[in-house]
Amino acid sequence: MFKEVRKKVESFPGYLKSWVGTFKGGLTIFCLIILLIIPLLTQNAYYLGEFFTLAMIYAIFAASWDLLAGIAGQVSFGHAIFFAISGYISSAFIVYFGFHWIIALFIGSIIAVVFGLLIAVPCLRLKGPYLALGTMSFGLILFLLFTMGGLSEILGGSGGISKVPPISLNPVIEYIITLFIMVIVFIIIIAIAKSNFGTILKSIRDDERGSDASGINTTKYKIFAFMISGFFAGIAGALFAMHYRGVNPAFFQPLYSFYAIVIAALGGIATIRGSALGAFFFVIVTRIFENIEFFADVEPLFFFSIILIFTIRFAERGIITPAIEQLKDLWDLVLGK
Amino acid sequence: MGIILEVKNLTKKFGGLTAVNDFSFELKRGEFVGLIGPNGAGKTTVFNLISGFEKLNTGLIKFDGKDITGLKPYKIVNLGIARTFQLVRSFKYLNLLDNVTVSCLSSRGREVSKETGTDEYASSILASVGLVDKARLPPIILPHGDLRKLQIAKAIGTNPELLLLDEPFSGLTYEEQLGITDLIKKLHDDGVTIFITGHVLRELMTLVPRVIAMHQGKFIIDGSPLEVAKNKIVREAYLGKGEEFA
Repeated sequence: MFKEVRKKVESFPGYLKSWVGTFKGGLTIFCLIILLIIPLLTQNAYYLGEFFTLAMIYAIFAASWDLLAGIAGQVSFGHAIFFAISGYISSAFIVYFGFHWIIALFIGSIIAVVFGLLIAVPCLRLKGPYLALGTMSFGLILFLLFTMGGLSEILGGSGGISKVPPISLNPVIEYIITLFIMVIVFIIIIAIAKSNFGTILKSIRDDERGSDASGINTTKYKIFAFMISGFFAGIAGALFAMHYRGVNPAFFQPLYSFYAIVIAALGGIATIRGSALGAFFFVIVTRIFENIEFFADVEPLFFFSIILIFTIRFAERGIITPAIEQLKDLWDLVLGK
Repeated sequence: MGIILEVKNLTKKFGGLTAVNDFSFELKRGEFVGLIGPNGAGKTTVFNLISGFEKLNTGLIKFDGKDITGLKPYKIVNLGIARTFQLVRSFKYLNLLDNVTVSCLSSRGREVSKETGTDEYASSILASVGLVDKARLPPIILPHGDLRKLQIAKAIGTNPELLLLDEPFSGLTYEEQLGITDLIKKLHDDGVTIFITGHVLRELMTLVPRVIAMHQGKFIIDGSPLEVAKNKIVREAYLGKGEEFA
């Protein structure tokens, strides 16, 4: 075990070098450089915050959904639960107890892990559309509990918690910190998807009975998938609450779960990386529509639902992944491979 | 030679239909036994009951002296009973190596694979079934015979003591059947107890020294292939009543 890890660490610089040389690696580095240049071009709080910081938060959220649905095959329509509960808990710790945001973010995400466990256990026997319905029902139950139930006194009732301080008042610093967190989260999620653990999750997705017959405790791994996915969705939720300076029961509505699904589907399900590209596509197109007067009053999800229908019907692998493959072919052509 | 598998009074009902009716038998360690019967005799149900994929109504299943009745499938696999399915199943978006790696990552498979590393262990299994040069291919593009081999490779990954093979020859060409036969014989030589079903008599009769026959969920006869082939009920089940077939 240790030997393997050491071998991997020792071979890492060489691996990195060859990885950058590949199309995928090169493109990733290229995108990262662009993301690092953006704050030099604009320090405007609206452009930086509402376009890029928001897109990165959605990217984390969609990637967490993709880990659960695309890799482990457990399609959840209630992913907003993890997002919102972490938003609530982290906001409460920041506002009521004066915790530092990093610690509050971790507490919120760990509570999201607990919710992952709480939702996974009753939903374990459900498959496919039934699992989607089950998780969606949990989301609605929590939405109602937070809107009108007995939780109102503790967690702000229908008004939620407001006046949550942002990560930083300087949009550039907020942007850079969010970028840093996003990169770390993506590295971890991609590493999970590529690991033996990820292989087991994929086997459950492809054929659960077959995985059982291979001696895998599928129940245990499904619960782990829910918990890990909940953790990363929780990070996104805490960042989102801080970004918008507050949290309210609307976070629990199925709309946010659909955001995650739409973004992941646009980017290509089970690709993880696609979630990041999908998120930028989603946010930027949404903002462009918002700024056109004719469309200003229309909920952006309206357009994306239409796009999603066409994506599912005609481009099962998402819009962005095939586009990138086209680009790769062009690249190979230029290099004469 | 101890008894490895003991099945007593196994009964399974699906609604009003009794798929397996008071079925009992024993397998000795290292044996090579066939389970025959016409379509719908209940062979697959017997396998599903032993491997824990179906819950039995009454009966007792003991493996290595340990009661395994009602255990979950993955626990039974990790005790040492692996199985293949009548319809080939594979993890269709994983390559062959990863397909086998999954079984090497089961807790029983891990005991063996941790010494060499899972990847090396999985490719050595692929090599033993003759699929190593296709390790990076997805299973969907493979011919049926290779998929049957992959089934067996996946079962070997869990390091079984007893291997239940459900119709491993169905849908194969004659050449492909020979390949699978060699593979199964090799496994048996390595000390794995093999329990194999088939509904076509000819294939099994030449392969195994002992056959258990069942019909409509009931035990009929247990003996050498010749004895079983001579049995009146077996002949009637396969050929129909009344007429004499020389």
